[in-house]
Amino acid sequence: MNNNLKKINIYAIYLGAIILILPLIAFFINAFSFRWFYPQVIPKELSLQAWVRLKLIPKPGQRTFEGFIELWASNPAVIKALLNSLSIGFLVTIVSIIIALPAARVLGLLNFRFKKLIIFIMVSPTILPPIAFVLGLNINFISWGFSGNYFGVCLVHLVPIMPYVVLTMTGIFANYNPDFEHQARTLGANKTRTFLLITLPAIAPGMVVAALFAFLVSWSQYLLTFLIGAGKVMTLPLLVFSTASSGNPALTAAISIIFIFPAILILFFTSKFVSGESGATSGFGKI
Amino acid sequence: MGGERLKIILSLTPPLLIIFTLFFGGIFYGFLQSLGYQPAIGKYEINFSAYYNVMFSERYAKLFWTGLGLNLWVSFASTFLAAVFALFGALAIRKTFFAKTICNFIYSLNLPMPHLVVAVGIIFVFSQSGLLARLASQIGLIGSPGDFPVLVKDKYGLGIILAYIWKEAAFFFIILMSVLQSLGENFEELAQSLGANRWQRFRYVILPLVMPNLFSASIIVFAFSFGAYEVPALLGVIYPQMLPVMAFEFFLNPDLNARSEGMALSIIIAIIVMILVVFYFWLTQAKIRKD
Amino acid sequence: MSKLNIKNLIKSFPSMDRPAVNNVNLDIESGELVAFLGPSGCGKTTILKMITGLFQPDSGDIILDEQSLLKIPTEKRGVVMVFQNYLLFPYMNVNENVGFALKMKGVDKNIIDQKVKEMLELVKLPDIGLRKPKQLSGGQQQRVALARALISNPRILLLDEPLSNLDAHLRDEMRDLIVTIQQKLKVTTIFVTHDQEEAVLLADKIALIFDGELQNFTSPKNYYEKPKNIKAAKFFGGVNFINAKKHNDNLSTNIGTVHYKGENYTDLNEDNIITIRPENIKLSKNNDFNDNSFKGLIKSVIFSGTHTRYKIIVNDLELECSLQSVGLQDIKTDDTIYVHLPSDKIWAMNE
Repeated sequence: MNNNLKKINIYAIYLGAIILILPLIAFFINAFSFRWFYPQVIPKELSLQAWVRLKLIPKPGQRTFEGFIELWASNPAVIKALLNSLSIGFLVTIVSIIIALPAARVLGLLNFRFKKLIIFIMVSPTILPPIAFVLGLNINFISWGFSGNYFGVCLVHLVPIMPYVVLTMTGIFANYNPDFEHQARTLGANKTRTFLLITLPAIAPGMVVAALFAFLVSWSQYLLTFLIGAGKVMTLPLLVFSTASSGNPALTAAISIIFIFPAILILFFTSKFVSGESGATSGFGKI
Repeated sequence: MGGERLKIILSLTPPLLIIFTLFFGGIFYGFLQSLGYQPAIGKYEINFSAYYNVMFSERYAKLFWTGLGLNLWVSFASTFLAAVFALFGALAIRKTFFAKTICNFIYSLNLPMPHLVVAVGIIFVFSQSGLLARLASQIGLIGSPGDFPVLVKDKYGLGIILAYIWKEAAFFFIILMSVLQSLGENFEELAQSLGANRWQRFRYVILPLVMPNLFSASIIVFAFSFGAYEVPALLGVIYPQMLPVMAFEFFLNPDLNARSEGMALSIIIAIIVMILVVFYFWLTQAKIRKD
Repeated sequence: MSKLNIKNLIKSFPSMDRPAVNNVNLDIESGELVAFLGPSGCGKTTILKMITGLFQPDSGDIILDEQSLLKIPTEKRGVVMVFQNYLLFPYMNVNENVGFALKMKGVDKNIIDQKVKEMLELVKLPDIGLRKPKQLSGGQQQRVALARALISNPRILLLDEPLSNLDAHLRDEMRDLIVTIQQKLKVTTIFVTHDQEEAVLLADKIALIFDGELQNFTSPKNYYEKPKNIKAAKFFGGVNFINAKKHNDNLSTNIGTVHYKGENYTDLNEDNIITIRPENIKLSKNNDFNDNSFKGLIKSVIFSGTHTRYKIIVNDLELECSLQSVGLQDIKTDDTIYVHLPSDKIWAMNE
């Protein structure tokens, strides 16, 4: 490759990279500015006013530790939404892993009739769009009493999450050697201890990946939470949407930054998983 | 071997139960409702009038078909462009150079980002008072915000396409990188030693190599963007409207007839996606049989 | 030190059209080192897995020290298995692996440390306690697996193909180690193998299994000298088979009458088969023998180092004879030769 071509190549990459992070830059500027109007590229005034308005950071003069605690304890909308998103995310992640584990073990280790069909069924919620099922489900939920409450929202979140968790964990079990468990049993370990000391450490990395997937999917849900929650369960994505529609960019940006925080964390965390080791991405060609 | 069979059944039941009752149950019940079967208000007959209304009635036909056209256009364009962008990015980044890891990171950055946030980001950058517009005015290209073209909340779905490209390019990128890194280099060097130039290597070695994965990923992305609600809801306009948004609004209408029509529309969306997936399977099976 | 009785053991799998284990009966004495020998797929590993409890038999019983094992869960049986690929727990170091069984019993930590040390010395790997399994060579892993199995004084030790993964010289070392330890600890040991040489080297007694059925259970020597049938004889390298008929307390064959002194004469069928090991046949250019001697022609002479193999044709029957190469008479191809089958070295069997 001659040098000029190489240089163009590299500059093109840089350009692409800059284009890709433009939105992120815009976020941060918006979040920390006041009256950042057209045509300013750089805001005249940097301030924390958005965060104060959201009641996440106390007014100047009250920015002590107690000040923060007092402010958050007054349960501003953002804190409420944040707690909901976090708790729902954790809850459905844990539940989905517990439910998926035995199924994944059976799918990964054994062969039986209808196995392919069952795997297809498990994966089907990722194929069809959520709108296809949530409308009908909402009516059922209303009559079953799950509409408009926390439990109903958690329940519906399980639908998009289960396929990812089952699929990831099945892959883990496919590479797992169950003889280790028998070896431990002959050495005197009962079924419970075998599971805790032998099985769990072996499948833990896969479980972590599955958990991250699950959490992220739940965290990002808008339509399902909006419809089933019926306005009574407020999560971060709902807040982002309503604030974005309202037209105050600084507030929107601030909430969005909170909203993307776990995603960034997970990105750092999994970058070593995804870049070479995991079979998850390379398996896509075989779908 | 009865004990083992029982174990299999018991293990598979919980997730299958959830999927059957919530997912298939929801679809089934939505389908019933779309046929006019609403026991809650005493309607027990079955007919396809909701479907007819949605697609052919005077009231909705234009809305539906322009919406469908918009949907197809948005999905095709965003999938294709995201794939192309990611392909060139992946090809370019393969050779090591300064800041390679950072670029790698940035190109995959958007993957875990929720779609909503990406959509908001697009607003911040591409709206008429957004970052790009301001940069343009600083260098004197435009005068007032009105001079900047309408890219977001426009009637061609450009903003929506942009948002999808941003996010899906990262997805394609990661898939392409893993394929290229595991297989690409050896084949390329071989072709090079056999005298193939860059374009030939691209056309005859790289493209066939990545095509299967690219194709599968495209189906996933297309199906997703076709049926998703969030981004068009945030970045779309009243007319023309993308189908999922339309379906949702019908559903929220207090008129119960409109509700059936919303369900019908969502079923239509699902059917279109199904056709696509079946088509994909048929294509890949045919290809396998050919090999 | 435990006695194992296997009674009428039957096990079938849906994927096979014959039982994997078909009515096997076996009694193993305390402290014996026994081999389950047979070709791949003969059911020997399946029997092992029923002894540990991984599989349940369809019918029959497994009795350890007068007590049936069938209802006892695996972890309480006191039967320890060493798998062919060792299966050292990858997340634990050598010390933790070896001490595992004692930890399961709730033994005090100091005692565990002490015993782990003893076991590692027993298998001659005193310094590797803190290493992880993936840092060990194959031979080292196997010894650690052995130490791990023996630390809790199991009642039965099961070894699955213990020598097949090792190269020749490691094999000798391992064989010596197994025999030494087994004799020192006097633990009843069963190992599974498809290699008859391995079985003969290690075992006190060999259980020969074909197609899920027990053929014979006896000392290695008997398999060589007194095999039960042709299949068993062939499995142990027998090559000389002569069709015979009972006749006047002797056996008549188409090479002549053979005087037979074996104690099983009365059990023989009318039609039976004589066999003799190549190394027991004697050759002479002159007819120096006064009994069981037959005239034949040398078909081929193959020098194999310490031994020389002769193929001889006697009346259309081909016999193979193996003699020590030292001090040999000058015998060449196409020579006329006299073949002597010593009557105490021939063995006749039914079919």
